[in-house]
Amino acid sequence: MTEILNPRERFGLLVIDEKPDRCNIIPLITSHAATVAGIKLKEYYTDGEAMAKAQITAIEEYEHDAISIFSEVGIIAEAMGSEFNYPDDDLPVLRIPALTKFDIDKLKIPDPNKDSRLPVYLEAIEYAYSAVGDKIPILAYVPAPFTTGMMLSDPNQFLLDTIRNPEQIKKIIEISLEAAIEFSYEIINAGGLPILVDPLASGSVISPKAYQEFALPGEQGLIKFLHRYDFDVILHICGDTTPILDLLLLTGADLISLDKVELNLAIERLAPKMRIIGNFNTTKLGFGSPDGIASQVREMVKHGIKAEKGYIASTGCEVPIRAPTGNVKVFISAAKEAGWFLD
Amino acid sequence: MKSTWFEVARPQKIDLNDWSQHFRLVRDEQIKEFNYYHNPEWGIYLSPPATFMVYGARELKRLKFDNSLASLRMWGFVFNESERLFRAKQMGKRVIATMGDLGTVPVIIMAFPNCIPFYPECIWWTPFFKESTVLLDTATELGIPEAACFSKATLAAFHKKAYFPKPDLIFASTGASCDDYSCIMQLVNDLGYEMLWLEIPFRRHNDEQYPDRFEEYLISEYERVWNKMVELTVINDKTGLIPSIKKANRLRSLAERIKQLTYEAPITPLPALELMTIEFGNLYGYADLDEWLDIVEMINETVAKRVEKGIGVLKQNAIPIAWITPSADPLLLNLVEDCGLRIVGTEYVINQALVPIEENVEPFRALARSFMKASLIGSTQERIKRIIEGVKNERIKGVLVTNMLGCSHCAMETRLIEKMLSKVPVLSIDVPVPFGITEQLRTRIAAFAETLR
Amino acid sequence: MELIGYTCSYTPVELLAATGFKPYRLLHGNVGFITLGEKSVRVDACPLVKSNLGYIMANQKKFAAVVGSTGCDMARRMFDVLKELTNIPVYLFNNPRTDKPTIFYDEIDWLAGELECLSNKKINSEILGTEIDRWENARNRYRRLDQKRASNPSLISTADFHRAVMNYHKGEIGSAININENQSDKPRIYLLGSSIPYEANQILELLELDLAIVGDFNCGISRFLNINIKEKSLNGIKVAYYNQPPCIFKRPNQPFYEFIGTQIKELECKGIIAWTLDYCDSYEFELKRIGRIFELPVLRIRSDLSFQNLSQLKTRIGAFAEMLA
Repeated sequence: MTEILNPRERFGLLVIDEKPDRCNIIPLITSHAATVAGIKLKEYYTDGEAMAKAQITAIEEYEHDAISIFSEVGIIAEAMGSEFNYPDDDLPVLRIPALTKFDIDKLKIPDPNKDSRLPVYLEAIEYAYSAVGDKIPILAYVPAPFTTGMMLSDPNQFLLDTIRNPEQIKKIIEISLEAAIEFSYEIINAGGLPILVDPLASGSVISPKAYQEFALPGEQGLIKFLHRYDFDVILHICGDTTPILDLLLLTGADLISLDKVELNLAIERLAPKMRIIGNFNTTKLGFGSPDGIASQVREMVKHGIKAEKGYIASTGCEVPIRAPTGNVKVFISAAKEAGWFLD
Repeated sequence: MKSTWFEVARPQKIDLNDWSQHFRLVRDEQIKEFNYYHNPEWGIYLSPPATFMVYGARELKRLKFDNSLASLRMWGFVFNESERLFRAKQMGKRVIATMGDLGTVPVIIMAFPNCIPFYPECIWWTPFFKESTVLLDTATELGIPEAACFSKATLAAFHKKAYFPKPDLIFASTGASCDDYSCIMQLVNDLGYEMLWLEIPFRRHNDEQYPDRFEEYLISEYERVWNKMVELTVINDKTGLIPSIKKANRLRSLAERIKQLTYEAPITPLPALELMTIEFGNLYGYADLDEWLDIVEMINETVAKRVEKGIGVLKQNAIPIAWITPSADPLLLNLVEDCGLRIVGTEYVINQALVPIEENVEPFRALARSFMKASLIGSTQERIKRIIEGVKNERIKGVLVTNMLGCSHCAMETRLIEKMLSKVPVLSIDVPVPFGITEQLRTRIAAFAETLR
Repeated sequence: MELIGYTCSYTPVELLAATGFKPYRLLHGNVGFITLGEKSVRVDACPLVKSNLGYIMANQKKFAAVVGSTGCDMARRMFDVLKELTNIPVYLFNNPRTDKPTIFYDEIDWLAGELECLSNKKINSEILGTEIDRWENARNRYRRLDQKRASNPSLISTADFHRAVMNYHKGEIGSAININENQSDKPRIYLLGSSIPYEANQILELLELDLAIVGDFNCGISRFLNINIKEKSLNGIKVAYYNQPPCIFKRPNQPFYEFIGTQIKELECKGIIAWTLDYCDSYEFELKRIGRIFELPVLRIRSDLSFQNLSQLKTRIGAFAEMLA
């Protein structure tokens, strides 16, 4: 079949509840783009133009449906004072969390145009938007407040404090929300559509109760801000979110990106109210055989496109940095094969 | 109703970043207050330009807008139209494409409950707002020559089915209209869309003295429109035409008032871009006439207040000019004002949508008479007579004519217009392709302004 | 002043001739006239329109009036230019654009009235009958030639036929028509598209070096042969002109395609020449459809009437002929 629409048009139809020619295919190709472009990861996450060019190279190579401006979840925390190591060929690693150096009252809302690597992201968005923004949506991943909060703190201490010192945690999240809003605001002005990522709010990390008390309000706050613009908001949470499926409905997100959840179950519970994104196992993408990937992706998409409000064929998590490009291509071509809506 | 910022803000043209800042001051309740099709669940539209920019309207990064709440509301509504049309279908409304007549058939459509008329040709602005050749390239792939008017984007939009929903009916007007568009409509037909063709006569004489039989032809064509609509809706109540005409007239008189206030005020109270958007709103109310009327009322109030206070968006010494043929690229309207000019007269080939419809005669006759005022169905001489009047009484100091390469009437009319307006400087420019405005063009406009000064 | 110029195949020549003036079809395509025309219109106007405009401007004294139709936008708007720049009376009528004859019939009545005023002469049925006979006889003579052109093998060339029909278009219908037979076994093709102007005969000659044009739907060549007036009256004229195979501009234009399809089949054509002039919307927009609908090889020739690319064109035509052979 011939594709009639470009990714921008396809995504545009999805968010107004219309069926495009085929389902959107947006695997979470983030830092993997550096591999496709053949550049060092450090260059990817410290140079906005390099990040954008790598993303464009990836989309030219794979012909998926959106650009994903992202490297790792610590970016806002870093701009608020956490320190990271920058390995040459790996993602930044948290070295000194901000709140181990100074008190919570000293946390400042960063200026996205100046502080740390936030300008790198904005530059990447600007570049990609100018280059291909008429044809391709530019998705910019924003760490949600809970995740940022954890990256501001010693992660273990942060989790313990959700029980021992919940008010402190809530305060951190409140400030992180403010920072996320400022970052999102600038992302929007640059031409990117903010996507919430809250990997550390996963059911694999915290309980449903903790999710409801700490992560959910931050997500809701950011989503509310984005809804003022009338954006359809994507929320991505890694890991197993089966225990919090019902709570996800309370976030207000319009599209939910899932990882380790049984897709049919998610469709049953969430699809009447949300569009579903997901959720191919990325380990298989890294290590599986092309034939196996193709048949499993087809199966996934066959179910996914039944989601009544819409579906995006995607990976459950980021495509592994060094995943074989051949496997990613297989993923995309299998999804294209199975994802047609038009006769 | 009004947030503090809007009450105190000095009228000015602001860019997208300014709008984003000011939007943060807009209260949530205010956002919820405005919605289309009276549907608060999905019908909100008070979004800043940044929203639509993120969804691909790239030129919004470079455009400047009026800073009133009324204008914010207007832009949100206008840019939301594509979604609105899809929502209309989802809500069970009938979406009717009215092509080529520019202003009259929609009045008939709106006499039927739950029927939404729209003009697919208005998609010609989309490549410019998006700074994209996607639609133009697709049209070329579908067989339209490269050197054809930008309205060829319409064919691509029909092909892609992503810019408006599949219409329940299409009325296509041909005859003394635009050639390019007649050809486009034929190709749309060839894509498998059925349409009812209407014939519109060349007026031949002036808009006061034309053969009576032309009115009769149009009436018989409007009867065909009516019958087709009755077939679709199973409703046959011509009394619906009266409120529809009244509503159209209300809109037309409001738009005229805003234009006059803007043209005559010592300081221009509303930028040309917003004013053009209002003029074109007369065609069909951007697919929700009730809401559009409300918006235009609000703009009217804003403009009236500014005029009363003697404040506006341009410098007092801006030089008054007229604009002939609408620019496909909205940025040109910004540029012209940036060069110190102000627009005090337009001929956008939609005259039939600007004049009042008689309310004391039979509705179809009234509609036929209003259509007979159309600029496109008459001579060039007729088309620019109002501009000539403006030049004579020294209200208009210069004239800008925009041309589109491959536009048949531009090719034939422009030199003639230049000759007929020889008493004032005339600048004729070709609208470049999307994202194609060059420094050279800016310099030409600046030099034109300098000449007038 | 001896001529009434006209621009469209829906213009009844019999009616024009009834005024006593000679109907003269404006079909000029000459660079000199184009340059003259470009003084009054933009360069991106149709070259035929520019050329016609230039011709009229240069020969104003010859024209008692010019009659046009709303056929295409540019041709129609040429009359606005003439109105402004000359004193020649111009008459513009609405030609059929959909399936409603009423407008056209009324317009012919109107035109008859105007022409009576112009010529100060009552156009009665007797005069009309004479003119109908005269023009119908002429058409019959050309029809006989056209049959020779259409025969298989073709016996006369379209280039020769075109030279002969120029007389008809220029109102010279009294003289005898002599065309030498010249049998052609070259690949049989059909020509359609924008009007072939008087000065473009060389294009036909070039085409027929390798091909045999055995039929055409072209306002500059044989389209007038489709006019067949059965009733010797103004009404007969209206009916005949309205019912001729429709212009590509009539909406919807499926009947146009049906007519051409039948012709191509009957004439056993192996290919199509689609000749278009720059900015001629009516055919340029339809080129893709022409190829698709007729399922025959199509050679597209686009021209600005400057004829600067003849050697390149010769190669293309040769390749096309080879493909058909």
